[in-house]
Amino acid sequence: MTTLNSTRLKPTWTLAGNSLLILMALSVFLPFFWLSLGSFKTGAQLNNPALLLFKPTLENWKEVLRSGVLESAYRSATVGLVTVSLSVVIGSMGAYAISRYKTGGSSTRFGILAAQVLPPAVLVFPFLEVSYKFRLNDTLFAVIISHLSFVLPVITWFLIGFFDAAPKEVEEQALVDGLSRFQAFRKVVIPQVAPGIGAAAVFGFVLSWNDLFYALILAPGNSATLPVKIASFNTFRGVELGAMCAAILVAVIPVLIVSFFIQKRLVRGISGGAVKY
Amino acid sequence: MSFRLKLMLPLLAVFTASVGYPLLYAFYLSLTNYKITARYNTRLVGLKQYIATLQDPNYWNALQVTGTFVLLAVFIEFWLGLFIALALQKQKRIRNFTRSFLLTPMFVTPIAIGLMFRFLLNQQLGVIPTFMAKFGLSYDFFGPGKALYSIVLIDVWQWTPFMVLLLLAGLEGLSRSPFEAAKVDGASAFFTFRKITLPLLVPVISVAVLIRALDAMKVFEYVFAITRGGPAIQTMTIQYYTYQTGIQFYRLGLASAMSYLLLIIVMVIVVILFRRIESTRKNP
Amino acid sequence: MASISLKQIQKSFGEVEVVKGLDLEIPNGQFTVLVGPSGCGKTTTLRMIAGLETVDSGVIHIGDKDVTKLEPKDRDVAMVFQNYALYAHLSVADNIGFPLRSKGVKKEEISSRVAEVAASLGISELLKRKPKELSGGQQQRVAIGRAIIRNPQVFLFDEPLSNLDAKLRLEMRTEIIRLQRRLGTTAVYVTHDQEEAMTLSDVMVVMKDGVIKQLGKPDDIYKKPVDVFVAEFVGSPKMNLVKGHASAGNFTAPSGFQIKVDPKLSGEITLGIRPEDVKITSKDASSKQGKVEILEQLGPRAILTIQSGNQQITAVVDNENLKQITDKTNISINSHLEDHHYFETSTGKRLN
Repeated sequence: MTTLNSTRLKPTWTLAGNSLLILMALSVFLPFFWLSLGSFKTGAQLNNPALLLFKPTLENWKEVLRSGVLESAYRSATVGLVTVSLSVVIGSMGAYAISRYKTGGSSTRFGILAAQVLPPAVLVFPFLEVSYKFRLNDTLFAVIISHLSFVLPVITWFLIGFFDAAPKEVEEQALVDGLSRFQAFRKVVIPQVAPGIGAAAVFGFVLSWNDLFYALILAPGNSATLPVKIASFNTFRGVELGAMCAAILVAVIPVLIVSFFIQKRLVRGISGGAVKY
Repeated sequence: MSFRLKLMLPLLAVFTASVGYPLLYAFYLSLTNYKITARYNTRLVGLKQYIATLQDPNYWNALQVTGTFVLLAVFIEFWLGLFIALALQKQKRIRNFTRSFLLTPMFVTPIAIGLMFRFLLNQQLGVIPTFMAKFGLSYDFFGPGKALYSIVLIDVWQWTPFMVLLLLAGLEGLSRSPFEAAKVDGASAFFTFRKITLPLLVPVISVAVLIRALDAMKVFEYVFAITRGGPAIQTMTIQYYTYQTGIQFYRLGLASAMSYLLLIIVMVIVVILFRRIESTRKNP
Repeated sequence: MASISLKQIQKSFGEVEVVKGLDLEIPNGQFTVLVGPSGCGKTTTLRMIAGLETVDSGVIHIGDKDVTKLEPKDRDVAMVFQNYALYAHLSVADNIGFPLRSKGVKKEEISSRVAEVAASLGISELLKRKPKELSGGQQQRVAIGRAIIRNPQVFLFDEPLSNLDAKLRLEMRTEIIRLQRRLGTTAVYVTHDQEEAMTLSDVMVVMKDGVIKQLGKPDDIYKKPVDVFVAEFVGSPKMNLVKGHASAGNFTAPSGFQIKVDPKLSGEITLGIRPEDVKITSKDASSKQGKVEILEQLGPRAILTIQSGNQQITAVVDNENLKQITDKTNISINSHLEDHHYFETSTGKRLN
């Protein structure tokens, strides 16, 4: 990795920079740390927030697991995977047509950009109404359709950027080498942008996984996704506070693990796609 | 059918179903007096809901609250993010780990972050007020006149990493030669930063600020998790107010009108800023 | 193997007409080079032959087959691109074998053909590598291997050597000629480099602004350029071109430069003399006086920039004739009438 050290910094600047980073790292770390402590405390111990040394209890975690939080996580994963798979397949075809053949000109691009900034409050009520009509309220189907409304434009947008950047010659070579246009797209263009697609997919999955607004309105009951389930732990009765801490951590931990593994690639993908606009 | 149309068709179909149709349906709803509790009395009422919205002081309050929130949050996130990005860029040891670690907050579901800070900042049970009390400080983070700033703080905690991500990518994408020229010319670090780094970074900055601002306008989870709009209506953001009107008070017609007005505001902002970004890209 | 025929080909990008009613017969088994400055339509023409661009009007035949409306894959052509266009995710062997694989040829046959082709290009030891582990020259060889493996009717080359360094370019040039001679496949080659065009082509096609300016053997074009543009474009260093007035065997330029020309000429003409046709002579009645401004040594030869009165003349001189000539030396120059090229100044057309 190349660094831009061309301007020599005075030691004070370096010191200030590193202090800032340490301060920031602490401010990221400490909330998670305290949350973890809280998840192992009994109701009485939670009344003393400063308490550092105590006999940990697993009661909170057991209660959270009993409450069906894992099922919610499973539902969230299902929604995320279905939404992202559909978006990647449909989005990559559309993005390719937009990037390579300038379909619809700049208005298509603007439309896709604009779709990403639609206030969710505009779309959610129609979704609610339609899902009532078709008896789809409180199902994952309704949630998936609503998530497509923001995941699909984001993924398509990323992919347009990646296709724009991919060299045209390679697919032309494939056309001359005897592939049909669709085969060239599938066998030559897609592998070229595969890392980008991966990053876009992960980003789209995170968006879907984190959504509360649509899921809360469209499926608040039996089909609660993880954010909805976590929201239901919202409490201020001391006895249930530990469970709330544990429930929050259930949402945090997988993301921490996943993001550590894929972050480098993801960061490159996101910045590659997003910095264009 | 041409090849490109075949490729576009699925996208068009899903886009129509998940964005186009709801958008039109919402417009229709906004012209009715639709209430979930009185479904069979629904009729078209023209622009009545829009007029009601514009005459509703709470709607204007919500716009103001949201505006204050977005301006404050994005301002802090930008400057903090810029300094962190600069520090990360110059950092030499354990680079990848620091980067990954500092970016984690933006990947966590906002409702979890909201609840976490509700827990940490609670006046009786939160660890931060407890420590502050040991130094004789008493501060109710979610009290009158303070709650909105605390929500801003939470947003800053979660979304500064996003700024860092984009700005860092921008910084590392800059060509080296102007910096080398400045070095040869003997420019100071601060001068280089002001006269070279910042101007070169303007396109990335405008994109980052635009994306973040539009996203911050949708703030919902922190309010839902912590204040529910209170104290009084001091943290009643537009998204939460619309949610309350539509879902808790069942007035879908009115809520749709509210969201449509918001949509118009957002689109105006987007078009203006988009044009600006386009023109700076064309004539830098 | 097949000839190619383009009839009344027209192509516009938006408002800009890049190819204007082009007629071109590309002979079977020959090496045809399209050459011209950038924007002359040569690459677009090549891409229309490949089927990568559609034609707005006109007909393209490859052999007896009308391919105007066919997809690239149905035209049986192979193409080599400027930036090699290798499939980054495939090994060298898979890259070379790709055209066969896409046709459904059996695995064993593919690998034996790949081995054969790789051996003929001297890249057998690279077969397991990925393209990014190869040098530019090696990548170009792989791209050529991919083109020759399926014995297409036609090879198309789109500036394939532009990204290579000078030494490698010469080496690959020879290799491409040798390959084409051996296989006898019709080849169409696009370049902006006239020197490359001269050395490679059986038939050279000089294009400008979407039309063909001249077509023929490179030597014929060099010796008898049809107009001022071709005269200046072909040959390095450029032909000396002087505008002036001819009457009674005397040519006078506004700069005051005078020289004997064909006595049949009269009126406003442009005189062209190739630098190598400018002779350094002893002083006599017909010679011109000049002063060497710049002397560039090229090894066996040297380029002299000579100031004669107000006229600047470029000459290429063998080293053995240089003798005492250095910078700022005063010399006499002359030229033979049969080496003169005459053009009508108003139209640029050749007169002799």
